[in-house]
Amino acid sequence: MTDTIKTTGGLSRRSLIKSLGAAGALGLAGPNFIRSAYAADPIRVGVISPLTGAWTVYGKAHLAGMEMAIEEINAAGGVNGRPFELVVADSKTEPRIVVEQANRLIRHERVDFLAGTFSSAERNAAGPVVAAADKVLLYPTFYEGQQQKYYPGVCNKNMFMFGPVPSQQVWPHLEYMVKNFGKKFFMIGSDYAWPRVTNEVTKPKLRELGGEVVGEVYIPFNTPQYESVLRDIRNSGADVIFHSLTGSDTVNFRKQLAAAGMNKDFTLWTVDDEEVVTSGLGPEVSAGTYVSFDYFMSINKPSNATFLEKFRAHAGDDALMDTVGVAMYNAGHMAAMALRKSGEVSTAALRKGLKGLTFEDAPQGPVTMRELDNQAVLPSYLMRVRENWTSVNDMFEEVQMFESVEPQDAACSNLPLEA
Amino acid sequence: MLNSLLSIAVDLTLITLVLALAAFGLAIVYGLVGVINMGHGALLTLGAYLTWQATAWQIPFPLAVLFAACGVCVIGLIFEHLVIRHFYERPFDTLLLTWAFFMIVTEVIKIVFGTDLRTVSNPLPGAIDLGGVRVPVYRATVALIAVGVIGATAWLFYRTSLGIRIRGLIQNREVAGLLGLNISLTYKIVFGIGAFMAGLAGGLISPMLSIDPYIGNVYLVRSFFVVLVGGMGQLLSGTLIGSFFTGGSETLFALFSSQAVAQTAVFALAILILRFRPNGILKNK
Repeated sequence: MTDTIKTTGGLSRRSLIKSLGAAGALGLAGPNFIRSAYAADPIRVGVISPLTGAWTVYGKAHLAGMEMAIEEINAAGGVNGRPFELVVADSKTEPRIVVEQANRLIRHERVDFLAGTFSSAERNAAGPVVAAADKVLLYPTFYEGQQQKYYPGVCNKNMFMFGPVPSQQVWPHLEYMVKNFGKKFFMIGSDYAWPRVTNEVTKPKLRELGGEVVGEVYIPFNTPQYESVLRDIRNSGADVIFHSLTGSDTVNFRKQLAAAGMNKDFTLWTVDDEEVVTSGLGPEVSAGTYVSFDYFMSINKPSNATFLEKFRAHAGDDALMDTVGVAMYNAGHMAAMALRKSGEVSTAALRKGLKGLTFEDAPQGPVTMRELDNQAVLPSYLMRVRENWTSVNDMFEEVQMFESVEPQDAACSNLPLEA
Repeated sequence: MLNSLLSIAVDLTLITLVLALAAFGLAIVYGLVGVINMGHGALLTLGAYLTWQATAWQIPFPLAVLFAACGVCVIGLIFEHLVIRHFYERPFDTLLLTWAFFMIVTEVIKIVFGTDLRTVSNPLPGAIDLGGVRVPVYRATVALIAVGVIGATAWLFYRTSLGIRIRGLIQNREVAGLLGLNISLTYKIVFGIGAFMAGLAGGLISPMLSIDPYIGNVYLVRSFFVVLVGGMGQLLSGTLIGSFFTGGSETLFALFSSQAVAQTAVFALAILILRFRPNGILKNK
């Protein structure tokens, strides 16, 4: 699925016009005419979304966020007269396909920068491609944070992270959860990097607050039955189930937890189940659980109300938005702001423009791109799922929020990341 | 101690029976007519979606599941009539054809139902207390239904004249044909029953799982192991024993190790069994 325009064979339209421009400067054509032709040339944005495969359910909001940003940017006259143009690629939720598509977008579609990929595995697959081609990738997903050993998937000057890391998503709310529900945590997550690292960085903070981990399990993808895990949880004496399962496993586990009548015996805190998954769970299974993220559709802010109005006009009344879609939206707008600021379109200009940039109108509240490690400084919300909710409009109630949470410094050896 | 032993026994029984239900349609199609049905997962998925659709139309859950099973049966029969019946003698071609069927069904599901997660609410919420062990009511009900369905099908195959014809066909296709048996009709009936069972299983499992276009795949590989370990053509005992080895032993392994190790150990065990008993655990040659 791609939106493409024809490029003049071999020679791209832009380089053709550039050479014409050079000729114009030599007096062969009127410079004014050339400048306006150049101005209409679109800035091409390559988006890689999980439109098919295991994480299909997240794909719609992921893509919609960028589509909306681009509509708004173009309605406001684009960047210095040049509109943004979207080129979509499907990651099929497979890192291998991400590599193919990133290469296609850069070499064949000649995009100016990339946005998207969904899981950390996908982002890490795109890392070498954007490093080699010197293109920027704007990454939207909540993830485990940057560690040097995963370079160039992280700690990469061409990558900008718009989603929260555990020190933003989890740490701020630990105290509240421990104080109100107890010190014993049972950690359950999918068996890959994000849940493992999230739990790893959460444990020392939990201990500082006097808490302890009474159980820790990692579930392979696509596990349908949870009897033995439920028994372990029941026997562990836990107060809080700290939950980072993903995809269909989160739904399978939580439905079976509820069916076993365990929802009332434990407090469940999930760092994965945003609007899309909670909708999939339904009110009986999800009621009374806690969720933390930088964005929720339920956030009561004028910037969010405006955003949701536009989103519903774009995608329909029942469409779901989530943290990842909003990060894509913010990424699009901040890229436009950065390019406007620097007045030219290049990888270096985009990097330089993004560093330290603040987007005041972000739906969740002001978002700043930190200079040090290209990690967004974000708000952090803890929400409780309401009983008998009927739609995303009344799904969550706010428990507490922090306006602007600085993440832990990235564990990169090359800080600060070069502009 | 006794209590936790009892709870493990209950878990083993539930897991074995739910997996047996999910694998049963495959046991029929693969085990009896030899079609390597990679589309089994898609039939389960379809059963779940049709159940969801019917409950969304306010049809009571038991009828919704029946509707789904019949719907999947009809779709399975159409596929059999258009494609599969021409390939009964070429089992490896059916592998590719049914894989294509899986991909087509998955994409059609995405077009018709969209990619949002769907949910069928649990028709029998709550848990009963069984001597200190809490058993989810719905799961126990599904396990009982599994026993009933597998028993009834076994009766059909071993105690009715249709069953005799099917078994005759499996034993010797040519002789059965020479004796005047309508081979293509019998194959069709078997394939239809298999599809019906897959739809039924998809429908019954739907309240326990997330309904997304790939829900059936969770059970596809496990179902193949059930049939291979249990032995092809061993409908009743083979399916149950195969399910115990693939599902139940996972629970046992998980007592001593991590989930990932347990799942790997199960597959390793299955490979070992197939190495020394290539025709399944029940067949000794």
